[in-house]
Order: sequence, then structure tokens, then C-alpha cells
Amino acid sequence: MEASEYENMDLENLVFEKVTEEIEAKKKAGERIPFHLHVPTPIFGLVEDTDIELSAKPTFKQSTKGKEAISYAMTLDGSSGAVDHGFFLRSNWQIQGYLLEQTDAIEKHGSSFPLNALEFMLGQLQKLAPELHRVHFLRYLNSLYHDDYASALENLHKYFDYSAGIEGFDGIPPSSGFNNSGRYEIALLCSGMLHFHFGHPKQAVEALTEAVRVSQQHSNDTCLAYTLAAICNLLSEIGISNASGLLGSSYSPVANMGTSLSIHQQLFVLLKESLKRAESLKLKRLVASNHLAMAKFHLMHVQRPVLSFGPKASMKLITSPINVCKELRLSSNLISDFDIESSMMITDGSLSTTWLKNLHRQRGSSVIFEETEPGNRSNASSFFSQPNSIPGSVSQLVGASYLLRATAWEMYGSAPLARMNALVYATCFADCASSVDAAVAYGKLIQYLAAYKGYKAAFAALKTVEEKFISVSKSQIMVLKLQLLHERALHRGHSKLAQQICDELAVLSSPVTGVDMDLKAEASFRHARTLLAAKQFSEAAAVAHALFCMCYKFNLRVQDASTLLLLAEIHKKSGNAVLGIPYALASLSFCESFNLDLLKASATLTLAELWLSLGSIHAKRALTLIHSALPMILGHGGLELRARAHIAEAKCHLSDASFSVPETSGVVLDSLRQACDELQILEYHELAAEAFYLMAITFDKMGQLEEREQAASSFQKHIMALEKVTDEEDPLLK
Amino acid sequence: MGSKEICRNELRIAVRQLSDRCLYSASKWAAEQLVGIELDPVKFTPSNTRFQRGSSSIRRRFRTNEIMSTPIAGVSYVSTPVMEEDDIVDGDFYLLAKSYFDCREYRRAAHVLRDQSGKKAVFLRCYALYLAGENRKDEENIELEGPLGKSDAVNKELVSLERELSMLRKNGSIDPFGLYLYGLVLKEKGSEHLARNLLVESVNSYPWNWSAWSELQSLCTTIDILHSLPLNNHWMKDFFLAGAYQELRMHNESLAKYEYLQGTFSFSNYIQAQIAKAQYSLREFEQVEVIFEELLRNDPYRVEDMDMYSNVLYAKECFSALSYLAHRVFMTDKYRPESCCIIGNYYSLKGQHEKSVMYFRRALKLNKNCLSAWTLMGHEYVEMKNTPAAVDAYRRAVDINPCDYRAWYGLGQAYEMMGMPFYALHYFRKSVFLQPSDSRLWIAMAQCYETEQLHMLEESIKCYRRAANCNDREAIALHKLAKLHCELGRLEEAAFYYKKDLERMEAEERDGPNMVEALLFLATHGKDQKRFEEAEVYCTRLLDYTGPEKETAKSLLRGMRMAQSGFPSMSAEHFPP
Repeated sequence: MEASEYENMDLENLVFEKVTEEIEAKKKAGERIPFHLHVPTPIFGLVEDTDIELSAKPTFKQSTKGKEAISYAMTLDGSSGAVDHGFFLRSNWQIQGYLLEQTDAIEKHGSSFPLNALEFMLGQLQKLAPELHRVHFLRYLNSLYHDDYASALENLHKYFDYSAGIEGFDGIPPSSGFNNSGRYEIALLCSGMLHFHFGHPKQAVEALTEAVRVSQQHSNDTCLAYTLAAICNLLSEIGISNASGLLGSSYSPVANMGTSLSIHQQLFVLLKESLKRAESLKLKRLVASNHLAMAKFHLMHVQRPVLSFGPKASMKLITSPINVCKELRLSSNLISDFDIESSMMITDGSLSTTWLKNLHRQRGSSVIFEETEPGNRSNASSFFSQPNSIPGSVSQLVGASYLLRATAWEMYGSAPLARMNALVYATCFADCASSVDAAVAYGKLIQYLAAYKGYKAAFAALKTVEEKFISVSKSQIMVLKLQLLHERALHRGHSKLAQQICDELAVLSSPVTGVDMDLKAEASFRHARTLLAAKQFSEAAAVAHALFCMCYKFNLRVQDASTLLLLAEIHKKSGNAVLGIPYALASLSFCESFNLDLLKASATLTLAELWLSLGSIHAKRALTLIHSALPMILGHGGLELRARAHIAEAKCHLSDASFSVPETSGVVLDSLRQACDELQILEYHELAAEAFYLMAITFDKMGQLEEREQAASSFQKHIMALEKVTDEEDPLLK
Repeated sequence: MGSKEICRNELRIAVRQLSDRCLYSASKWAAEQLVGIELDPVKFTPSNTRFQRGSSSIRRRFRTNEIMSTPIAGVSYVSTPVMEEDDIVDGDFYLLAKSYFDCREYRRAAHVLRDQSGKKAVFLRCYALYLAGENRKDEENIELEGPLGKSDAVNKELVSLERELSMLRKNGSIDPFGLYLYGLVLKEKGSEHLARNLLVESVNSYPWNWSAWSELQSLCTTIDILHSLPLNNHWMKDFFLAGAYQELRMHNESLAKYEYLQGTFSFSNYIQAQIAKAQYSLREFEQVEVIFEELLRNDPYRVEDMDMYSNVLYAKECFSALSYLAHRVFMTDKYRPESCCIIGNYYSLKGQHEKSVMYFRRALKLNKNCLSAWTLMGHEYVEMKNTPAAVDAYRRAVDINPCDYRAWYGLGQAYEMMGMPFYALHYFRKSVFLQPSDSRLWIAMAQCYETEQLHMLEESIKCYRRAANCNDREAIALHKLAKLHCELGRLEEAAFYYKKDLERMEAEERDGPNMVEALLFLATHGKDQKRFEEAEVYCTRLLDYTGPEKETAKSLLRGMRMAQSGFPSMSAEHFPP
């Protein structure tokens, strides 16, 4: 490359790749780029060659023919992995392309990306091209994803110190149309996100606030829009109680809204604002992700009228599934937009990456693990008809909307829809998804398997997934495995093992308060359940109570509902039904306001069981309750829930005084038989024993002695299994 | 003064030996020290003292240290260096090679010595090859500078040199000079630990090679490394330690060492310059100026270290002196990084920032790693309101030496100028970490916290308190502390700091709005606290000032008199039983 081209080159593309991809795409399309790619020629050994200035000298080309062949051979059989120690890319665009590709790879693979290999490569690059400052940015990303705070911070500052101003030492202004004052607002945005990533919400807020101010100063609307989105993200992710003190403390875009608004109302206003801004700037990707954030908000928060308060204002205390769906649909519109624009997307810059990808394919690199499942890849290609027409970030966003859909349906309680969406994600978007997201999708699918098909199937699937994500996101897959193991241990009655797994789960979460709240809540929830299974009722109640307080503090409303239900359950098991009923009712009302239909059905069932345990006079009422919940339970509930419903129904019938065995025994036996089948799949000994016990009694009343003996022996079998709890080492745990 | 005689003899021989081996900068250094030793007053003749004329004032200043003789433990492990001679015939070849070397024809020199096996010849051959490689490397750096910066030119002789030297070392047929060269090669290669060991070995067996000491010094990046070196006692070690302390920012220790050395080498320009450097780091500009004036009188064509003098002159805004200095170095040797920095400073003081930047840039062309040029250029860009360029320049300085707290401070300032106080904090933090005893840094950080955007007053107070504890010369911290406490409604603390500030101002005989403010606050506070006598004192002092404060003081006094005279009734009203 000629020196002048280097000077004209826009070094900031990369930041924009991260921050404002939109602009970058346009710029790339419109930029004057001399077609200067000697596609395969410029690969030759770094070691053999001393001339970095690869220009289009024909004589030079000739002389390197031999070396080229050598280096190809070398790279073809080089099994060194993702980073190539043997050869080096020469033209400026190719280096840029390489860096871009590495950026994508880092984002995609997260912490499983080989740290040192890239670091080595970047070191080399930096030595050869000290004025190529993007290297610092890559270093920043690399250390960010490997949780190296000091190095990430250092490199971030370094990158912006060098590049955000007038490029280089000679004072040549950047070629793009930006003002000379640099783009330090992006630096602030990045540093805010860095602090957020490392769990320093206070610093993050300070940095983002400053980013807002500086972007306003430099009238960089794009950055402002992104910063607002980042603030929204921050607010919704960190525990709200943490934030309340924090936003008031400093000047901030939200502070001027007055303190009368609660934090999530502020968040709502901010989200709307951010969305509006993104729309007016036509930042499609940002719009889409804002829609996603909005959907998430609608999903997680009770909506209230924002500005009208007092007793007269109508309190609409529900979340709105319709809004969620609307937002989600809006966000996926993005893909069609990009389909239209796709013809514009192929530019020289992306071409150089395409070429790189081809190179990777030739070399049969195994680290890019999309190659491990060839079927997957071809699926994706046929889905998008043109493999590179849609940028990875767009399909990532669209994929994210599917994942969110799956979660939403999971909460609203539609099993088929949840499963379908997760499946869509896993098949169509696994290519462009970051490994963490992909692991989440697979995790969901496996959990459905466990709930509907039993553990055998789930563990078989887990095994394949573990192989697929062999080096990836240990925590995601690890959490899933521990969840499954815990569930099974509880069902089998291995409470010691369950406790051990529970502890392991708790260890996985970050020690910082306000970070990893979901995982912490889950661990504590499972702890309470374990204690309950071990019949330590008061301890279980204490844990559940603490959990409820924590969830309330951090605004985890859905977890609140399930914790309340757990408390009801604890009181039920401890024989204190009267105390349990209010909890069940509270949980019911929570579920109603959040449209958690499946959880509501489950709460209804618990309520019925509580009534039933108050005496047979309440059997009728209990039965009505069960019948009201049954359609939901049978349609969408998992094996355990269904079995419980069946048993409860049978119990109702049996305890009803007006119920005569011979006449309606069919109903009872039918539901009991189903319950038994389901419980045997789950290996849920305790409940299975109960079901067989009830069955035996029924048979006894009917006088069918043979069947009674059979049921009794099954009963005995399950009781024995429950009693000889062998805490044998589970091979899966290691 | 036997020890002086010893030093003199040792140095005399060493100068010859070093220049015989073409280690010119080391021999220059040794010769300088040789002349720097104070002469026996009995023997001196006017021509002998030519060099030492005019040093009397300096000498007088440090006369207290006269007691010293050879270093503390006193025992030199190595006595007078011995001259070993190669054969006469070989000696002829050596003479030829040395002549070539002197004409900078390194490869030719090495070729002449190709079959020689004497230690001296082997060293000169290796050294010539090394220098030839260095020359080639420099050329390549310029020729091959790629579009994205430098190419990775390396000294191609390093590999073969390392091989040969390691073999020699294994055979035991290596002399201290060879060891020095071996250390140099290893340092270049990046194996610092090994290089350190070899250099230690070299200076232990031949301590007069200053080049070896200074290489060793550049490898001592922490105090622990420095203390772990197994060095023999020799008076040269004191020079080394003094320099190393300076690099490690232990300025007082370094100063003590130099002053001790001055007992023997009382006329050494080198030591004077080093003392000046230490004083400069301690911000004793007056002293630095005196020393440099002295130095210039003795050694008018000196360029080394003069950039620091120009910094001092710049800081003190001594325009004519700086102009004189700039013109002198311009005539002496204008293509030296130091000269360029001096001229840059000169233009900067004249307000011609573009020209000044040009000279700093030239300094950097001459030496890419010229730390002070990067920092100074950053300052210039700040003056020119070109903050991004300033940031870039400072950042380069920081990347060359991450311990340069001035550049970190400059970065922080640049970002603060752009209205990014939070971002700037990162840099100020780095800077105070490196130089926790500099009140200016703490004040800068405090001001960042204090900005309206961040408004983190508690943190700001903490920083000001640190600043007040490290001898805040401009006396900003106390005043600010008082004000901030007042703002936060902690009147007792505010009064405490106002009082302290007042005491300081009295001691330094300063006057001004701060004084009035302090007096006014203390008077009002005293009155509110019913400490009328105290309040009255402050009020009376206020009466000396003109302006609205005088009136306020008067009314305060009146109010207090009223309160005191009407004491019984008033108190009965205010505090019913």
C-alpha cells in the first residue's frame, strides 16, 4: 500500500463496527477504495521476507511465486489452530479484514477464544505496524472477554489515545467527514460498557453520563443513541436497588425527569427516548435492539401509567404480552430491510474477509466450530440464499429476538411455542450466534427434554451438546448440567447429593453483589427446595424468605412469584396448610399480573392441594380449582406437574364423601395410571409411591385383589428405592 | 588524600585502556572524572587548574563532605588495572584495525582481526561487528519504514556474536570487555536476566567501564532487582548506585550519594549535572539554575543535560537566559535531540508554538525515544488547543516510559480540557500512583472530582488532604479544603482549615482575597460559636482592608458588642430556663 492510502484510510472503522455498525456499512459502501487486493499473492513467509512495503511491482510478484507456494503448503498442513504463525497478510485491507474477522470471532466465542494465540499475533502485528492502532482495540476486546480488567482498561485507553484524534504524528486530519476533535465519546461509551461488564455499575454510570454529555457537545447523535441504549441496558441489568442511589447522585439524562418516578419508570421513559432517537437516525440495528430491550421490559415489569399517580389513577398492574410480541416482531423486521439492501453490502472490505474465510475453509481449521457440523452450515447458507448478504450482526439480532421469544413463551407458559422458537434459533442462527447464546438455546431445548421426556433423553442430549461446546462457555453448560443433576437427585431422594450440587451451583455465580442475580436466585431457590426435600421445614422457609427479600430488592418479580409458591409448598409439606394458603394466593396474583399462565396453573394446583389437606369438606372446592387449571397443565405442563395434578385429582375424588368408588373408579384409576407412568419416567420415587399407594387403596375398595397386590408391590419398590439412598458418585458430576 | 591519588591512577590507566578498545564514551566519562578529582593544592599550577576555575562556589557549598575517602567498606577488590600486551606483530594488526575502527569502517576493522586470538583483538573484532550491525539496522529502519510504521529491523550480527561470545565464555577466555559486549547482545535479544548477570560479572572484574554500568542501570527497573545484584565494593559502585536511585525516583538517596562523591570528584561536571537533575526532580529550580550557570561557565560547549536547564529557564520564564542558551547550542551542534528540545522550548516561550513543535519533532527524528520531546510536544499541542494531537504525543511518551508521571498528568489534563473529567481521572490516578509526593497531581485530581459534572466532593476532599500533606507550594489545597468543608456544612472542619491557611499565609507573608475570605469566615464562625474574643480579633484585622468586607466586619463587631453588653437579657430570651 502506498503511504498516502494509509493516511487516508479510516482507522476508526472498527469502533464503529462495535458501536455504530450502521454508519460503517454506509461508509464502506460509499467510500472510494482503490481496488488494491492482490488476493492470494501477498501471503508469504514473514520470516523469509524483509520487505513490508508490498506494492504492485510486477517484478517483485514474480520473485515471490516460489515463496507463495511454500507458504500455501505450510498453511495447508499447519495444524496450529486459528492463528497462523507461519504467514502474514500484507495489504492494508487484508490486515483490516483479518482484524475485523478476529473481532467477530472474539465476540462469538467469548472466553473460549484462545487468548494467547491472538495476543501473540497482535504483538507481531504491532511490532510490524506500530501505527496500526486497531490492534490495541483487539487487545482490549481479547482481554475483556478473558476478564482481564487491568489489561482491558489499559488497552482501551491506549487505543483511543492514539487513534481518536488526528491520526498519527504528522497531523493529517482523518479523511472521513468527522470533526477534528476526535471521537472520545466513543471511548467513554466503551469504558462504560467495560465497567458494566466487570460489575462496576457506579463507574459505568459515570462514564456513560459523560458519554452522553460529550456526544451532545460534539453533536454525535449516533453515539448518543447508542449510549442511551447502553444506559437502558445497564439499568435493566443491574439490580434496580443499586441504581436508585446512583442515578440521583450525578447529573444524568434521567435525573432531570424528577425523582418522583421509580427506577423502572425512568428506564421505560429512557427506552422510549432511545428508541425514538434511533428511529429518527435510521439506525436499523439499534432500532431492532431497542425493540428487543423494550420487549424485555414489557416482559419483566409491571406496567403502570407513568405520570398519573394517586388513588384516582387507574392502576393497570399487568405486563402486556401483546406489547412483547409487537416489539419482537418489530425487531425482526430488520432482516427484511437488510435483504433489500444486501446488494449494497458487498464492498472491498468485506470481500477481503470473504477471502479470508475461504482460506480458513481450505485449511480445514477446526477451531471455528461451525465447521464441526457441516449440516448446520449448509442450512444456514440456504436460509440466507447468499451467505454474506446479511451481516453477522443483523442475523445475531434477529436470532436474539427468537431467543427472547422462547423465553417469553416459557414464562407465559406455552411449551410448544417456546420449544419451537428455541429450535429455530438453534438451527438457523447457530452460525452467527455467539457461543454463549447458542449454549443458552441448546440449554433450553435440553430442559424441555428433561421436563417432558425424562432425564434419560435429556442426559443423552446433554452429552452431544457438551461435545459440541467442548471448550466453550463452561458456565452455561455447567449450569445446565448441575440443574439437571439436582432435579434428578431431588426426585430420586438423594438429598445429600442434591445439596452438594446446589453448593456447586452457588459457587458458579460471581461474588460481586448485584451481578449474576439470576444464577444466585436460582441457587438459593434450589437450596430451599433441597431443604424442603430433606424435611427441614423451618430452614427451608428461612432460605425461601431470604430469597424473596433478595428478589424483591433486585426487582426479580418472576422469581418472586415462584418463591411465594415455594413458601406455600413448604407450609403444605410441613402440615401447616392454613399458613400456606395466603402464600399461594399471593403467588397467584403475582402470576396473574405478569401473565405467567403456567406458573399460575401450578399455583392453583398447590392451592387446591392446600385446601384438600384442610379436610375432606374442601374436596369439592379443590376439585374445581384443579379442573380450572387442568387444561393449562395438560397442555403445557411438564411431567411432574401433570402427575401432581393427576394425583391431586384422584385424591379429591377419593376423599369426597359423596364419591362412590365402584362408579367413578375409572376416572380415578385413569389419572393415577397416567401419574404413575409419568413419575416412573422421572424416577420420582416419593410421588410415584404415593400414586401406587392410592391405586392400591382404590383397587382394594373395588375388591380387585390381584391388581391391588401389583400396585402394592410397585409401591414397595419405590419406597425401597427411596430408603436405600445410595449416594454413589454420579459419573456425570465429575 | 591518598584515595584521591588512587582514583586518579586507576582512572588514568582506565582511560587509556578504554580508548585502546575503542570504548569511547566510557573513556570520555572516565577522563571527565579524572579531571574532576580535586588537585593537591600543593602541586597545582595555573595550567592544571584551568578546568577547575570558577568552581569555587560549588566547592564551598559542599565542603562539609570533605571527610570522604574511598567508599564505605574501603576495600577495593580490584586494584590498579594491569595492561596486558599482545604480540608485537599482532599488535600491528590491532593498530590497523583500530585505525579503521576510528574511521568508522567497522567491517574492515573486523576483517583485519579475523585470525587474531588475543583477548583484546577478539573483543575489538566482536565490537566492530556489533557496531556494523547496529549501523545497518539504523539504515534499514529508515529505508524500510513501512506504511504502518517501522519495520522490524534487527541487528543481524547478534546471533553469530552471541554464539561466539558464549563459546568464549565457556572456555573461560573472555575478558571483562567481552562480558560487557555479551551482556549488550543479550540485552538487545531480550534475555534481561542473563544480561544482568553478565554485566555484573563484567563490572566486578573491571569496574572502570562506565558503559557497562549504565547498561546495567537500564536493566534495574525495580529496587528489588537493584538490591539483589551481587556487586563488589568499589568507588565506581557509588556512581552506579546514585544513577540507579535517580532512575528509580529515589531522588533524595541519589542526591546524598552524589554529594558524597563530590568529596573526591569535586570538579566533576558529570556529578554537578546529575545533582542538578536530582534537584530538578525535587523541583528545586533555584538550585538547578545556579548549578547550570556554573556548568556553562566551565564547559560552555556542553549540550548534554542542557535541555533540563532550558526547562527550568522556561518554567521561570527567564527569557533572555533561554534565548542565550538556545543560540549557543544552535551554534554548537544544532542536530542533537537536546539542542532541538532547547530550541523548541525557546520558541514555545516566545509563543511560536508551530515552530516549537517543529523542533520537538526534529528531536524525535534524531531520537525516536526522546521522552522529554514527546512530553514537551504534548504541552505545545495543548497550548495550541489541539488536544487530540496532544493526547497522542503524551501517549507515546507513556508508552516509551510508563513511569513518566508528567505525561500521564498531561493526558489527564488534556481530557479534562475536553470536558471529560471522569475519563481524565484514570490518567491522574496513574500519575499520582507514580509520584504520590507531588501536590500538583493531587490537586489536579481533586479538581476533577470537584467538577460540576462529577461533583464527588468527598473524594475531592480526600485528594486535597493528600495535597496539603505533601507541601503544596501554591497553597491551593488548604483553601479548597476549607471551602469544600464549608460547602458541605462542616463548619468546624472548615474553620480548622481556614485557620491553617491563615497561618500559612501569615508565615509566607502573602495577602489577597483568600486572606479576606478566611478572616471573614473565621470572624462569622467565631461569632456564631459565641467565641467573641476570637471573632473580634479577626474582625479588627478585617478592618485593615477596603471594600465590602470592611463594612461587614464593622457590622459584625457592632453586633457582637450589642450581644455582649445586652448579655443578661439576651441570654434570658434565648435560653429560657
